[in-house]
Amino acid sequence: MTVQNLRKSYGERERLHGISFEVRAGEILGFLGTNGAGKTTTIEILEGYRPYNAGAVSVLGVDPAKATRAWRNRIGLVLQDCELDPAYSVAETVTMFARYFDAPTDVAATIDAVGLSAKANDRVGRLSGGQKRRLDVAVGLVGDPEILFLDEPTTGLDPIARREMWTMIEGLRDAGKTIFLTTHYMDEAEHLADRIIILRDGTIAAQGTADELSAALGYRATVSFDAYPGFSAGELAGVLGRPVVIADAVARFESPDVQGDLEALLRWARAQALTLANLQAIQPSLDDVFVSLAGESARDELEVEP
Amino acid sequence: MSDVSLALAQTRYALRGFLRDPSALGFTALFPVLLLLLFSAIFTGATRFDGAHVPARTYYSASIIAYEIMLVSFASLVVRVTTNRERGLLKRFRGTPMPSWVYLFSEIARTLVVVALTVAVLLSVGAGFYHVTLRASLAVGLVTYTLAGVFCFSTLALALTRLSPTADAASAVGPLAATILAFLSGVFIPVAIMPAWMLDLGKVFPLEHMARGLQVAFLVPGSTGVTWTDLGVMVAWGVFGLVVAMATFRWEPLGSAGR
Repeated sequence: MTVQNLRKSYGERERLHGISFEVRAGEILGFLGTNGAGKTTTIEILEGYRPYNAGAVSVLGVDPAKATRAWRNRIGLVLQDCELDPAYSVAETVTMFARYFDAPTDVAATIDAVGLSAKANDRVGRLSGGQKRRLDVAVGLVGDPEILFLDEPTTGLDPIARREMWTMIEGLRDAGKTIFLTTHYMDEAEHLADRIIILRDGTIAAQGTADELSAALGYRATVSFDAYPGFSAGELAGVLGRPVVIADAVARFESPDVQGDLEALLRWARAQALTLANLQAIQPSLDDVFVSLAGESARDELEVEP
Repeated sequence: MSDVSLALAQTRYALRGFLRDPSALGFTALFPVLLLLLFSAIFTGATRFDGAHVPARTYYSASIIAYEIMLVSFASLVVRVTTNRERGLLKRFRGTPMPSWVYLFSEIARTLVVVALTVAVLLSVGAGFYHVTLRASLAVGLVTYTLAGVFCFSTLALALTRLSPTADAASAVGPLAATILAFLSGVFIPVAIMPAWMLDLGKVFPLEHMARGLQVAFLVPGSTGVTWTDLGVMVAWGVFGLVVAMATFRWEPLGSAGR
């Protein structure tokens, strides 16, 4: 899947300002952004739902704007807001969707793959939110697609249902599916995605693996401990060769080499027979990377962790 | 699986879902039978029709069947298609290899089956209790108007979905339009006591023509009730509905339009 210089406007307002990226076969690409960054617009263009204004898009060698039936047979969709008809059972729903495809997978195996075998004969209307979402995935998988689009698969799920969904998605990756995953949860992208793209205001703010994103920003671990009475920041700074600050009675320094710095710190503490209270070394999380890239204003829009 | 067998499978699927919806069943199957029973209990005598005195109950048997055809093909179909669209289901279907016509065919075929079943029930009640004489001419008229009615009102229903942003709006607009048309068309009140101007207004719309045709088929021995005028008006409305539906039909929820 390749996207080159993709632009999309709604009326006068341009929402995607020429984005380019690619998704490789067999990987999970995490497509991240706050609400309004252009995630949904992008995925709907890739899914063939929306026309675009400029650029080039190729999904499995086909321009989604000219989606053919043969192409639709090769992609699977899990949409963000789709309420499957509550009147049918799980098995009936998956069976019906299987009929739409040329070479569907086995219905019972698909239901089993999303962990709904015990609910196969229950009506959709009686499923929990997490179970409904997993049924959505089953319906997206039953055509045996080469690429699966997962649009915010865990939004609104409780923490347990979310973990179950993650386990299921990991199973799909192990089965070799290429997955385009949109989410606004940092930890979800970090946990599931091989590579991550962060979208901000219709442009790509960063892309790479989780580690690359952290490294690209020059984020360093922070080491801290309670500053004991009489602690001299200057003395320790001399020992470590790094600036040490004291704030709110906590001493801290940034460390590009946590192991080396901790060894020096502990040797120094032992020599003086000191006990360092609340000693900790914290690695920056992808969440920090995201907030830094998406801008502070985006902070308000971030979903609270369930 | 060929597209034709897919269309038939989708029709069975739509029918099964419809039969599991108690409110849709009550509205389209129970309600018209109750209406027929009520009208027949109120209007027990004769009414003038086509220059002759005829039993009012026979008149109502024909009228309520016309009303039922409209109710299922129009009011109920608008609600069902709008509901599926707002659920995001139509968009979901659109993202599969299923051709668009298969879904629309399945809903209209499903409508035809429900109409056939419920009309059979109403006809049985009429034949059993309200002096409806089953004869060949009636069968010809009934089949002709049933097919014309399902075509005409289904396409109008699909056209109207563009104007109903939510399932609730569709549930309000469909029955309202059906009720007003029923009054204008001499369905609820016999034509003999209707003001002429109101009937003239009713003639603009397809229900008047379907109701009048069926009344003739039920009340005038040997007549099928089928006239080129009545059929022509219904087909013209059907084609109008089809053209509007093809130009304006939306597969995505209107709630998210322009997102």
